[in-house]
Amino acid sequence: MTAAVSRARGGHRARRSGGNRVWAVYTALAIALAVAGSPFAWMLSGSFKTDAEIRRIPPTWLPDQATLDNYRELFERLDFPRYFANSLIVTGAVTAGNLVFCSMLGYALAKIDFPGRQALFALVMAALMVPGAVTFVPLFVLISNLGLVDTHLGMILPFLAGPFGVFLMRQYISGLPDEVIDAARVDGAGELRIFARIVVPLARPALAALGILTFLSTWNSFLWPLVVAQSEERYTLPVALALYSIGQNQTRFGLLLAGAVVVVVPVLVVFVALQRFFVQGIAMTGLK
Amino acid sequence: MKRLTTVAVALAALTALSGCGREAGGPAPDRPAETGAGPARGTVSVWAMGTEGEKLSVLAEGFEAANPGVEVEVTAIPWDGAHDKIASAIAGRATPDMSMIGTTWMGEFARTGALDPTPPGFDEDAYFPGAWATTVVDGTSYGVPWYVETRLIYYRTDLAEKAGVKPPADWAGLKSFAKGMRDRGGARYGIALPPGGTGSWQTFLPFAWQQGASLTGADGGFTLDTPQTAKALEYYLSYFEEGLSPAALQPGELEQGFIDGEIASFVSGPWHIGVLKEQAEDVLDGRLGVTGMPEEETGASFIGGADLAVFKDAGNRDGAWKFAEYLSRPEVQATWYRTVNDLPAVKDGWSGITDPMLKVFGEQLGETRTPPAVSTWEQVASVIDDELEKAAKGRTTGEAALKSMQRKATAIGTGT
Repeated sequence: MTAAVSRARGGHRARRSGGNRVWAVYTALAIALAVAGSPFAWMLSGSFKTDAEIRRIPPTWLPDQATLDNYRELFERLDFPRYFANSLIVTGAVTAGNLVFCSMLGYALAKIDFPGRQALFALVMAALMVPGAVTFVPLFVLISNLGLVDTHLGMILPFLAGPFGVFLMRQYISGLPDEVIDAARVDGAGELRIFARIVVPLARPALAALGILTFLSTWNSFLWPLVVAQSEERYTLPVALALYSIGQNQTRFGLLLAGAVVVVVPVLVVFVALQRFFVQGIAMTGLK
Repeated sequence: MKRLTTVAVALAALTALSGCGREAGGPAPDRPAETGAGPARGTVSVWAMGTEGEKLSVLAEGFEAANPGVEVEVTAIPWDGAHDKIASAIAGRATPDMSMIGTTWMGEFARTGALDPTPPGFDEDAYFPGAWATTVVDGTSYGVPWYVETRLIYYRTDLAEKAGVKPPADWAGLKSFAKGMRDRGGARYGIALPPGGTGSWQTFLPFAWQQGASLTGADGGFTLDTPQTAKALEYYLSYFEEGLSPAALQPGELEQGFIDGEIASFVSGPWHIGVLKEQAEDVLDGRLGVTGMPEEETGASFIGGADLAVFKDAGNRDGAWKFAEYLSRPEVQATWYRTVNDLPAVKDGWSGITDPMLKVFGEQLGETRTPPAVSTWEQVASVIDDELEKAAKGRTTGEAALKSMQRKATAIGTGT
């Protein structure tokens, strides 16, 4: 009897503290969400404000007089479909290239034994540590000598594979069981077949992560497309937006924020589309 | 990261060029070449930044009409990144025929050897002297001024009236002007001087120039720690020490503070007329005034804006210089002012400007200075910005800040 009571009491206490823990988690998540989401909310509300209101102090969260002028100006002054298409071509090609080449090289470095493998991997790691600012101009001189200035190819080619992607894929593929690959080899599958039929499907979560990261950085990339493009027809979205909103001595904040909203939408779409692969990745680790 | 990129791009551009051997045996003096007679022909490719790039085709139409057979191709490039784009284009030898160049970049780009010296036939005296000076590097001019801006003191005329103070004539006058508007005019701050941060050197250096300071010595090295500069820094910092200037200023605070009457005055360029009117035309109507810089040895202000330069690699050098000449004509400069509100760099271009506030800018343009035309200026400028911030926030003394500026500037060098 006493045991039952104490158990009940204990159970009650446990449930209550469990409830408290849930609330603590929710509170922490809500704070994190507010911190992560407020710049986004600010961007969204700012895009409907006049520049004068954006500059006003104290700031307003909701626009006093909501206006669509920023968006109207954005779409009227910018050849939007063209810049959007340019961004899509460059980002699509770079993302696809990274998915294919980084996973191929990652597979080779992780699972195929060949002489110089360690040295090659060390080279990739070394390349990872060279800041982009250092290679920027030599890369442009190279592109210029190849006659690729003012072409989409010039914007795409140098970034088709990157050391970070190779590193990411190599690390993930290293964790895949050798037995599966050996079994396929025993069954007579060639390397290409093993790669396409076994490695790629198993590495989907890593590919999704690489895809998102590459898409994001290429989509937002500003300086390289600006330097390679020599005519406005080749501009990508971020370059075109900067052209119209940032001046020598002043910035058109409303236009910039409206542009940021427009630029961020495709990124959200890609993220949502790839989200299930992330979830899948977590499910798979659970099965192991 | 951004600054790192900028510096790396600039350095790489310099080394890439010296590697090309464009100037074998040291920089030989450039000799300006004549341009051909007759109308311009062919295609002229031009880069221009921001609004200027967007609207330049308006002027190009007139040029094309006057020169049948010529076609101007304008590419608008964003201000943000323009410096790196031009530097990379020079390194990759992928320059257009001509480009708009920010006045403070001239030293850097001219020293790469990529700019064509200004041909004879451009009348130096037609431009404001400070504007022409921005094109001159090592005694040779590498372009022509296109448009200018300079800095004045913006102030609340109602607060000045209430305080019974007049626009200042000298440093003592500026101090009592600011004090008066704070103590009797009801403002919280008499004047908002930039307490460091990007570009604050443009407000600080004029005070040094007003004392007659020269930023480089006879040997060509930096002289940022002269008694004149020390005096200017001491004076500048006194505004923060006496609470006349806010020691921290967030973006937007300046405009809002000025509109609310919290900040009685500040130093800025002509674009602030538009910014303030857009934000609070009703409040400021009849209460907004501008006045020239205080005068000690000189009454100098900063001059900015942009120049037009032609590249040595230009496929159509002749057409490019002819377009530059066309853009320098007084009537075209006046049209440009009406199109994008850029102030004419050519004195005669001002005849049609009647706005009383802009006229004060016009008067100040007669007395302006530019930073030394050295390839490392952007780096030195950021050193001045940083040290100014430390001193204004009281983290270091003016004396130490000045020493540090000189030491770092000397370490950076002038790029020669």
